Amino acid sequence: MILLAKIGVGVLGTAMVAGAALSSEGFIAVKVQEKQADGTHLNLIVPAALVPATLHFVPKMKLQDAGREIRPYLPIIDAAIPALEDCPDGILVEVKDPGEHVLIQKSGGSVVIDVNDHDDIVHVSVPLRAAQSSIHQIAEANQTM
Amino acid sequence: MKTSKVVLLVAMVVAGTALWAASPERYLHIKVNNPKTQELVRVNVPLSLAEQVVPAINHGDLKNGKIHVGNFNADDINLRALLQAVKSAPEGEFVSVQRPDEEVHVAKERGQLVAHVRDKGGKERVDVTIPWEVAQALISETTDNQLNLSAAIKALQNIGDMTLVTVAGEDESVRIWIDSNNTDAK
Repeated sequence: MILLAKIGVGVLGTAMVAGAALSSEGFIAVKVQEKQADGTHLNLIVPAALVPATLHFVPKMKLQDAGREIRPYLPIIDAAIPALEDCPDGILVEVKDPGEHVLIQKSGGSVVIDVNDHDDIVHVSVPLRAAQSSIHQIAEANQTM
Repeated sequence: MKTSKVVLLVAMVVAGTALWAASPERYLHIKVNNPKTQELVRVNVPLSLAEQVVPAINHGDLKNGKIHVGNFNADDINLRALLQAVKSAPEGEFVSVQRPDEEVHVAKERGQLVAHVRDKGGKERVDVTIPWEVAQALISETTDNQLNLSAAIKALQNIGDMTLVTVAGEDESVRIWIDSNNTDAK
């Protein structure tokens, strides 16, 4: 009985540590809602820590073009993301017209993008730290080719 | 005695840190509004973000925080020399241009460089106010055809809340201003 309890505590502890590690960098949230009657409703919440790990399994060739395009902007990204992390939360950009509303804001450690137009409602939330490490990984994929 | 010095030092460091932490973020706000088409664009840029990002941009005319903007010496006017002259001049109007279709006035008012452009048809009005520190920062450590954007952003951090640019057109209005609010609620 004690042995079972010990195993249980071990499993629970491992699960908790794994959960903490996975959620340490926050979550990427993507929500897409097509406004048409039979439109798609997509709701995706992924631990941001999974993205760099997942990128390791993506063939380098597939990342080559994206990497090449990102590389010139790396210094700007590296300057912007830590600075943005230090900024207080708030709306960065808002564009409104009769048919569209776009909102880009910083909330917590994430950049949140909301788009509401004639066809869709889109919500994307990306933790800044995870974005930076993933962008570097993609850029390096181009370098190692 | 030694202990009191240490305590004093620690107190100063703590007070300094608290003061630094309490200093509010400054924002550059841009608002473009077109009531006719109901279009609205709002941009709120934390100056600390701009201060970090602008020097990192090396693209086109913007390099190392400095922007290349045509030729300041065009028409035999050297903007740098002009600013130096204006700095030491007393307050008042320096330039007044009257054209059939528009009026331009450039003046030094309350230590600020002020420019007003009026379309005589009443269709457009542009007012630009540049604090002296910002004007000087813009031309600091530059060659003739450069503006030091990085230095200007740093200088903007230290000025009070103020409107820098307003453009009132027939259809559209633009306002650019500085304050410590993270929204453009003002």
